[in-house]
Amino acid sequence: MRPDLLVKPSSLAGLWKALPSLPRDRRYLAGGTDLMIAAGHGHAGDCWVDISGLKELKTFRENSSSVFIGAGLTIAELAEKPQVKKWLPALALCAPHYASPSLRNMATIGGNAANGSPCADGVCALLSEKAEIVLGLKGAKRKLPLHSFFLAPKRTSLKKDELILGFEVPKWRHVSAYEKLGPRSYFGISKVTVCVSAELSAGLVKEAVIACASVAPVPLLARKAAEFLYGRRLDEGTISEAAALAQSEASPITDTRSEAAYRKAMVRVLAVRALSRLAA
Amino acid sequence: MGRFLLDCAVNGARVRREIEPSRTMLEFLREDLGLKGTKEGCGEGECGACLILLDGRAVNSCLMMAVQAHGREIVTIEGIKGRDGGLHPIQKTFMEEGAVQCGFCIPGIIVAAEALLRRRPDATLEDIKLELTGNLCRCTGYEKILSAVELSRDELKKKGKR
Repeated sequence: MRPDLLVKPSSLAGLWKALPSLPRDRRYLAGGTDLMIAAGHGHAGDCWVDISGLKELKTFRENSSSVFIGAGLTIAELAEKPQVKKWLPALALCAPHYASPSLRNMATIGGNAANGSPCADGVCALLSEKAEIVLGLKGAKRKLPLHSFFLAPKRTSLKKDELILGFEVPKWRHVSAYEKLGPRSYFGISKVTVCVSAELSAGLVKEAVIACASVAPVPLLARKAAEFLYGRRLDEGTISEAAALAQSEASPITDTRSEAAYRKAMVRVLAVRALSRLAA
Repeated sequence: MGRFLLDCAVNGARVRREIEPSRTMLEFLREDLGLKGTKEGCGEGECGACLILLDGRAVNSCLMMAVQAHGREIVTIEGIKGRDGGLHPIQKTFMEEGAVQCGFCIPGIIVAAEALLRRRPDATLEDIKLELTGNLCRCTGYEKILSAVELSRDELKKKGKR
């Protein structure tokens, strides 16, 4: 059910001011592509606060050590930015596989995280890029590693009324590979995704981050596999062993989209594909 | 509950109207403005029959609240016209190619094609296929739709068609 009450603050300051007078069961409306579906299936709050027009959430800036992307930027807006192609190659690679072109024009990167789904495409990419998530509540701001933001399926660290302001992604010279299996080549929800970002130096892995979607209760970092890669050359044996480790770290379930055993097997296959791409 | 004074542009004209805040964009267009060209297929963003242009970008109006259009520019299928006010070149090639069967999905597909060809006048067949990944057609099998979009791209590139 869509609520009868919807308010549209014109600034972040206006939003914090408006909140105390609103019904307690309230939700933020950003791109709407998840919230509207939830409203179609049942109760989705007594009041929505439309944050889609807030300019403060559309910030995009970079300094010498990091790139900050505002939570309100859409996937399409991000994919078009040259700085995203340069500093967030995993996010750029994920974009064509993120829903459909029209949904990418609506869905925001903040909403992708707020929804708390283990299959979130944008989150998986940002995890591999070592993103931190920046949260705001009235005057207070806090920053968490993105992986610690997710607690359980559909449960995040967000406090009541807390808003995702954006993501801070460190600048590091990495290359990425994004391997997603869905029901079809494009526009499908992930059954399994493996996204690898790595910095290579003289053919050796200086640092690697392996993020997996849809194979654990939360978006997963395959830490053992990533640590194993440190200092090694991406040859066939190394890739095979790292992929096996990633597989051992996954704990998928059977649901409407896929089966646990298939997902588990595919983590290995996709990890081999992703690492082989980086080696090439 | 309180009503919302929505102020936006629809097909080039300013629209100011008090609406129920719980209205979707699709309901606002069809029921409040009587613009029935935009269709509801799945109501969940899967089929693309409800596509409109929001500040020039294609969006699913079934998943958008009308309030979100405040201060923005909307173009619906009714606003996609040729320079003489008649059919748009994309609409003409869809007719010529026989790319329309039941027609329910076609407004959304034409909106998607228009968004693509505005942004990328040289779109390849692969670009067109990717742009239409969010549009379902249960009649045609897509081949004629794809060739119609390719033909309209060629037409639009000829001087003075847009």
